[in-house]
Amino acid sequence: MRIRAVAVNTFRETIRNRVLLNILIFAIGMILLSLVIGDWSLYQQSRVIKDFGLSAMSIFGLLIAIFIGIRLMVQELEQRTIYVVASKPIHRWELLLGKYTGLSLTLAVNVLLMSLALGAAVWLMEGTPDWKLAPAIVLIYLEICLIVAFALFFSSFVSPTLAAIFTLAIFTIGHLSGFLRDYVEIYPDQGFHWLLRGIYYTAPNLEMLNLKMAVVGYLPTPPNALLWGLVYGISYTLLLLLLTMLIFERRDFK
Amino acid sequence: MSGAAIQIEGLTKVYQGEIGKPRVTGLKDLNCVVNAGEVYAFLGPNGAGKTTAIKCMTRLLRPTRGRIQILGRDGRRRETMNRVGYLPEQPNLYGYLTGREFLDFIARLFSLSAKWRKQRIDSLMHRVGMADKASMLIRNYSRGMMQRLGLAQALINDPDVLILDEPMASLDPVGRKDFRDLILECKKEGKTVFFSSHILSDAELIADRVGIIKDGHLLREGNLHELISGQITSVEVTFQVDEIRLKALSVPAGNMIRQDPNIMIRLPGLDAVPGILEQIGQCGGRIISVIPQKKSLESYFMDELRR
Repeated sequence: MRIRAVAVNTFRETIRNRVLLNILIFAIGMILLSLVIGDWSLYQQSRVIKDFGLSAMSIFGLLIAIFIGIRLMVQELEQRTIYVVASKPIHRWELLLGKYTGLSLTLAVNVLLMSLALGAAVWLMEGTPDWKLAPAIVLIYLEICLIVAFALFFSSFVSPTLAAIFTLAIFTIGHLSGFLRDYVEIYPDQGFHWLLRGIYYTAPNLEMLNLKMAVVGYLPTPPNALLWGLVYGISYTLLLLLLTMLIFERRDFK
Repeated sequence: MSGAAIQIEGLTKVYQGEIGKPRVTGLKDLNCVVNAGEVYAFLGPNGAGKTTAIKCMTRLLRPTRGRIQILGRDGRRRETMNRVGYLPEQPNLYGYLTGREFLDFIARLFSLSAKWRKQRIDSLMHRVGMADKASMLIRNYSRGMMQRLGLAQALINDPDVLILDEPMASLDPVGRKDFRDLILECKKEGKTVFFSSHILSDAELIADRVGIIKDGHLLREGNLHELISGQITSVEVTFQVDEIRLKALSVPAGNMIRQDPNIMIRLPGLDAVPGILEQIGQCGGRIISVIPQKKSLESYFMDELRR
C-alpha cells in the first residue's frame, strides 16, 4: 500500500505539471507533422511517417524522462517535501520504488498518447493500422524507463544540472556503444582503450532497445529482438534501481 | 503511560565535509530523556543542533554514533515511526495537492483503512481550524495554514509521541496561541510532546521540562519550574500611604515608583521585605500587594549560554 500510495502521488504530481503537458502536446504535434513530411518524399510516405514518428517518440520520451526524473527528485530534496514522507513508517527503498513506479506510469500514458497519434497518422496514410510498429514502441518505452532510472540514479548524488548532463551522456553513449566497441577493436593500441572498454561494458547498449529501423523496413529484424530487448532492458533497469536504492538508503536529508 | 518515551544516549552526528571542506560536528555526545506524557521543550540558539537531533530521531539523518529509543524501540526502525508524529521546521508540503488529498496520502503511508482515513481527516481538519480549506490547493495556503496542515499530518496516525521542530516560529500571536492550545490538548490525551523552539515565552507557557542545547550537546535539562522558580530576582511591594508619612520610610527614592494612588517599591530580595512591611505599618500605610519577581526562562537561558 505504501509503494502504491507514493506511486499514485508521483503520478498525480507529474500529470498536474503544465510543462510536461506542453512537451507532450508538442510531441504529438511533431508526430502528426510526419504526415506533411511524408508528403515531401517520393513513394516513401508511409515509411517516412513511421520513421519520423518513432524517432519523435524516442526523442520526446527522452526529454520527458529527463525532465520529470530529475525535477521530481530535486524538487523533493530542495523544497524539503521529502522530510514529511521519509519520516513516516516507510522504507527508503519503498519510497524510491514508489516514485519510480509513478514515473513509469506517467511515461506509459505519454507513450500511449504518442502511439495513438502515430497510429492515427499511419491509418490516415495506409487506411489500416500497422501492428508491426508495436515491438519498437514497447522497446522505446523500456528505453525511456531505463533513462528515467538513470535520471533518478544521478540526481540522488549530484546536482540537477550534472544529473541532466550525465543522463544525456548515457543516452548518447548508449546509442554509440557499437562504435565504441569497433573503435577499440580497430585501434587496440590507443592509450585510453581501457577507458573506452570500461565505458562500453558499463554503459547500457541502447541499440538493443532500438527496433525502429527494423520495423520500418530499413533493416532486417534480428531473431527474438523483442525478447532480448525486454530481458536486457528490464535487467539493466532493475540493477540500476537497486544501486540507487543503496545510495538512497544511506543518504542524509540535511 | 509511564517511563521514558524518548531516550537519547551519546548521540553524535558528524557531517562529512564536501571536497576541500572540513567535517562539521552537528551533535556531540547528546544525552536526553523525555518522560512519557510530558511536554518537553528543546531550547537552543540557531545552529545549536536542535534540528540535527530531531532529524536523527525521525530517521532523516543517520547518527554517526549513539542510540535513540522511542517508546522502548530502536528509533532507526521503520515500525517505530508508526507511533510517532513529526512536523518539520517550516514544512513545505506538496503544492499540487489539496489539503484533504495530502492528508489522505500521508494516511496511506500508515496503511490506514479508507473509513478511518476519512473520519480522521475530517476531524483533524476541523481540529486545526482548516475544515473550510480542505479542498483548496496547498500552493494557495499561507504559511500559517501550511503549519496547521503540517500539524494535522503529524497527528494523522494518532501518535503517542509528537516531535515538532520550531512549530511556532512562523506564526502570528493568534496562531501561536492556537498551537500552544493544541499542544496542551495533545498532552491531555496522554501524548508525549517534544518540541524545539527559540521562542522562550512559548516554551515557558507549555513545557513541563526543558533541555538547553548549545554546540551540539546538552547544557542543562530539568523541570521548568525547578529551574526557574526559587530564583527570585526582586520583590515588588505595592502600598498606599499619606504623602507626609511617606518621607518617614527609609527607602531610596530611586527605588520608588508612583502610580497614584499606589506606590510601588522594588526590593533586591526577600530579606528586605519584613522590614519594609513593618515601616509601612508604622506609617499607617495599607499594603496592596507583595509580588516576588522570579527569574524568567529567558534570563535563565541567557545565563546558561554565557557560562
